[in-house]
Amino acid sequence: MSEVTQVPHRNIEKSSPTLSRTAPPALEVSGISKSFSHRRRETEVLHKVSLQVEQQEFVSIVGPSGCGKSTLFHIIGGLESPDAGTVSMNGKIVTGQRGKISYMPQQPALFPWRTIEDNVLLASEITGEVGEQAREEARQWLAKVGLSGFERSYPHMLSGGMQQRAAFLRALLAPQELMLLDEPFSALDALTRSEMQRWLLELWEENRRSVLFITHNIEEALLLSNRIYVFSGRPGSILHTVDIPFPRPRREEITDSPEFIRLKRQLSQWMREEQAKRTLT
Amino acid sequence: MRSTWKQIWPPLVAVVFFLAAWQLSVSLFHIEAWILPSPTDIARESSSNAAGIGDHTIATLRLTLIGFPIGTAVGLIVALLLHLLPWAKRALYPLLILSQNVPSIALAPLLVIWFGFGLLPKIVLITLVCFFPIAVATMSGLSQSDRMMMNYMKMAGASKWQIFTKLELPSSLPSLFSGLKISATYAVMGAVVAEWIGADKGIGYYMLLQKSAYRTDRVFVAIAIIVLLSLVLFAIIALLERWLVRWKPRRNS
Ligand SMILES: Nc1ncnc2c1ncn2[C@@H]1O[C@H](COP(=O)(O)OP(=O)(O)O)[C@@H](O)[C@H]1O
Ligand SMILES: [Mg+2]
Repeated sequence: MSEVTQVPHRNIEKSSPTLSRTAPPALEVSGISKSFSHRRRETEVLHKVSLQVEQQEFVSIVGPSGCGKSTLFHIIGGLESPDAGTVSMNGKIVTGQRGKISYMPQQPALFPWRTIEDNVLLASEITGEVGEQAREEARQWLAKVGLSGFERSYPHMLSGGMQQRAAFLRALLAPQELMLLDEPFSALDALTRSEMQRWLLELWEENRRSVLFITHNIEEALLLSNRIYVFSGRPGSILHTVDIPFPRPRREEITDSPEFIRLKRQLSQWMREEQAKRTLT
Repeated sequence: MRSTWKQIWPPLVAVVFFLAAWQLSVSLFHIEAWILPSPTDIARESSSNAAGIGDHTIATLRLTLIGFPIGTAVGLIVALLLHLLPWAKRALYPLLILSQNVPSIALAPLLVIWFGFGLLPKIVLITLVCFFPIAVATMSGLSQSDRMMMNYMKMAGASKWQIFTKLELPSSLPSLFSGLKISATYAVMGAVVAEWIGADKGIGYYMLLQKSAYRTDRVFVAIAIIVLLSLVLFAIIALLERWLVRWKPRRNS
């Protein structure tokens, strides 16, 4: 796990603060609202959501389930069109355009007729040809996430956690720079989960992709993120924006620091309040 | 291997039981052979007259093997066209379903009037009976691909063609194969019926001949051959499916 190498297809400079300050944000969502009509009843799912992911920044969204987090990802990915607001990437408006992001859906959604290796290469296959070099890289990555020996297996032969790791790799090896991860570790048991968190932390600090990350797990968000957006219940809007001050590289020990515990308590309280509002209405 | 055997023996026992009951009742109630021959009579006839019916079997097999692939191809082409052209699907799909209320076999005399007695009307008949199950099964398979995977493909920027080849087509395979299996038996039936309406060889022709001579035993032999042909075709398709859809988890059904 320690010899994490450069993410393939990409040559990002190690985070240089000047670059991230001058370059336009990797992702800028402004004023996004979205309603769905179901049996003639309009339900507002997202209400004027604005957020940013700077270049090479790790940003998390936490919020109660059903508050439109996945819907926001669908809008950023061009699958759904917003009722209001825009999505820009690197300073260009790309609202409704597809193929701009690398995506890990909430369910693994691996293709059952593809081997694990072919699944992992799907995104690259969609944007272009996949050569022997890309395959070799995919195999190396599979080994790194503990999936060696399963390259030629079909998804149904893998456990839920292994499938999620494969879906994660599929997003990681995608050629797009911005990664959207929708609760990537939700199906994992606690032990595997914290292992994957540590692994993702290390991986990200080596490679510095721009990441927008949805999670239910406050500790996970605190450990990984530069910034956390706390969403309200439906209709989802941003309640709080919290910048996470811990320097990088971070180690897991920060979870014991007083500052971490204070932030965790604060975020948990906000979440509990949101949950309480929901049960009242 | 053991589980296959577990699946096979109950129907096998049922068949043996059925044949025994048949044999017993024929001899107990003294049923005359021209009404209902016993299974042993039929077996004896088929072994003594194997040469006589061999040519007919080959003729029917040949007809089936020409007609079935053509019917399959037509079914697939119809399914693909209607799938890729949604407006055409909306316009034609209901008509296609309605058209199945016309028993294709009833069209046989018309086909003879239009195309004569050669190979063509027979092929047209087989095509008519077997394209429909394939077209319907393939179409429903194509339109029922997984929502999550579809979302993934779209967000990854896949083109319509990529979505078709990498998602819709593979996910339609299981459904396509169930259509193929139904059509295979229809094709054999279509071939026999086609031979009834005008042929000088083939199992259908042989049946008519033996019927007018009251050789009920031979009619039964012909029926057994038809069943056998259908089963062989079915088995070949099932094997092909096993190989092409090997990614699918096997359920014990
Ligand atoms: N395509 C859709 N059509 C109608 N309703 C939808 C659609 N997608 C999501 N919703 C509704 O939007 C709400 C938010 O869903 P989602 O974005 O999945 O929430 P989260 O990911 O935060 O749990 C849910 O109530 C869901 O039923
Ligand atoms: Mg969700």
